[in-house]
Amino acid sequence: MQTHVWKKMKKYKTFYFLFIPIALYFLIFTYYPFLKGLVMSFQENRLIGKRPFAGVENYALVLQDTDFLASIKNSLIIGLWDMVLYFTLSLLFAIILNELLNKTVKKTVQTIAYLPYLFSWAVIGGVWALIFDIQGLANQFLSLFSVEPIFFLAQPNLARPLIIAMGVWRSIGYFALLYTVAIINIDTQLYEAARIDGASRMMQIRKIIIPSLAPTMKTILVLLSIGVLTHFDEIFIMVNPANRRKIGTLLLYVFETGIINFKTGTASAGATLVMVGTLVFTAIIRKLIRYDKD
Amino acid sequence: MAKKLGTQDRLPLPVQVLYILIILFVVALMGLPMLNVLAVSFSSIAKSDAPGLILFPNPPTLEGYTFIWSFVNLAQPFFNTVYVAVVGTALHVLMAALAGYILTQRDLPFRKAMTSFILLTMTVPNELTMIGIYAVNRDLGLLNTYTGLIVNGMVSGFSVFLMRNYFQGIPLSLAESARIDGASELTIFSKIYLRLSIPGLMTIGTLELIRRWNNINLVVTLISDMKKWTLPVVLRSILFEQTSTSGTSYIFANAKMAAVVLTAIPLVILYFFTQTFFTSGVMIGAIKG
Repeated sequence: MQTHVWKKMKKYKTFYFLFIPIALYFLIFTYYPFLKGLVMSFQENRLIGKRPFAGVENYALVLQDTDFLASIKNSLIIGLWDMVLYFTLSLLFAIILNELLNKTVKKTVQTIAYLPYLFSWAVIGGVWALIFDIQGLANQFLSLFSVEPIFFLAQPNLARPLIIAMGVWRSIGYFALLYTVAIINIDTQLYEAARIDGASRMMQIRKIIIPSLAPTMKTILVLLSIGVLTHFDEIFIMVNPANRRKIGTLLLYVFETGIINFKTGTASAGATLVMVGTLVFTAIIRKLIRYDKD
Repeated sequence: MAKKLGTQDRLPLPVQVLYILIILFVVALMGLPMLNVLAVSFSSIAKSDAPGLILFPNPPTLEGYTFIWSFVNLAQPFFNTVYVAVVGTALHVLMAALAGYILTQRDLPFRKAMTSFILLTMTVPNELTMIGIYAVNRDLGLLNTYTGLIVNGMVSGFSVFLMRNYFQGIPLSLAESARIDGASELTIFSKIYLRLSIPGLMTIGTLELIRRWNNINLVVTLISDMKKWTLPVVLRSILFEQTSTSGTSYIFANAKMAAVVLTAIPLVILYFFTQTFFTSGVMIGAIKG
């Protein structure tokens, strides 16, 4: 038996040889950084030289840090709102878009809505800077109702809604596209049958389209739940002294503590907690929607 | 399908009107800001800074573009980004295809273990390991180098599985007969598998190019030297902390928006050229992911 496997392995030796660079890549740039981060979270903050073992000191430190606690709150608020809004708004948009009969119009609307998903968060930041400028589109619109101009980007109270809206603006076209593909794949015979039974279009949407989208909804929910605690790019772009208290998320904390201020131990402890949080949260979502059952 | 819809399939009129209003609203909400950015970028300093909504540049001028390209030297980050994204994507596609091909060999001993080894890397989002990634790259001397930006993300579990699934659609008999004719494994890989998988390769290539072009987290983790920054990171400082990018001179709205357009437009062009591959990739990505 063993000689048999050995013979086979010899036959496939080219493949093992070709696999070496791939395995090395994942070991050095994925597995090792992960383990290194984990180890560093139990070591003292030190950039060079030996890092003495620190036990759970970093974890205690990070959990007492008011900045970290504030970033948990910010992450949860921004992350959960984004998750709920991406999920529902894109679903509604896809269903409504599907009722458009003209294919060219449908395609054009879809493309316009999809385009922002191609853009870097910095580009979206630029769009926001322009339309929420003191003379921008948003203030122009409000002036129609004689509202005084607002410094949107410097208002701490508007910081979270603006960040959440940024995500929605960028992402609903993309998620709507995922739903649209699932709608296109619905068996047309189902509609025929419903028609014979005299079901109205509204009824068909409720009884055929929405139930058929269940698997896509589950996939999207799981995808979104992984991202709830990992918002970084848009925060990094938009953060300023006025809104930091409201939108500083966990990963911004990890980045600034570890990479800007070189407190690698503290930052790694924070990152590890985010990892655990993400695992727990995804597990809860998977359980709630019975993702692994069918 | 649209033609088959009978009259009883139409929504009640008030609902139809509501739907059309919603769609118009969404189009305006998505389209107007983009149009606004484009129009301001082609406006003169005076026009772009005056109150009033600009949806059409009158008269159009390239002032903003020449200022941001030469004076603020956006050319530098632009070519940095092109270099890092193109070279990185080419390597990524090659590595992913190779790994996918290896995992397609049905009788390969330990294939399951190799598959799980790659699958496992997909469970933790990259951003969560940024401190470890920083430390490893520092130890390897890759901080502040383009090589660092290219090497990190040289292959990903996602792309490997996408390619593997693509290759599984190619009949094994093709490879078998080539093998009998004495073709080497690398010949079979390049002459049969790669050639028959162009749409798959284009798909992961497009997705990877977009990811690399737009990347922020990895760039700010590895690169502190402003000369080596890529477009999104430079764009951020142009927009929000301009003194560090242009010295003493003020960057007006038209030049800022020109920078926004220059960062976004290559991907929009790419999108229109690779649309078919792109949409299919998006689907596979989301469904399998």
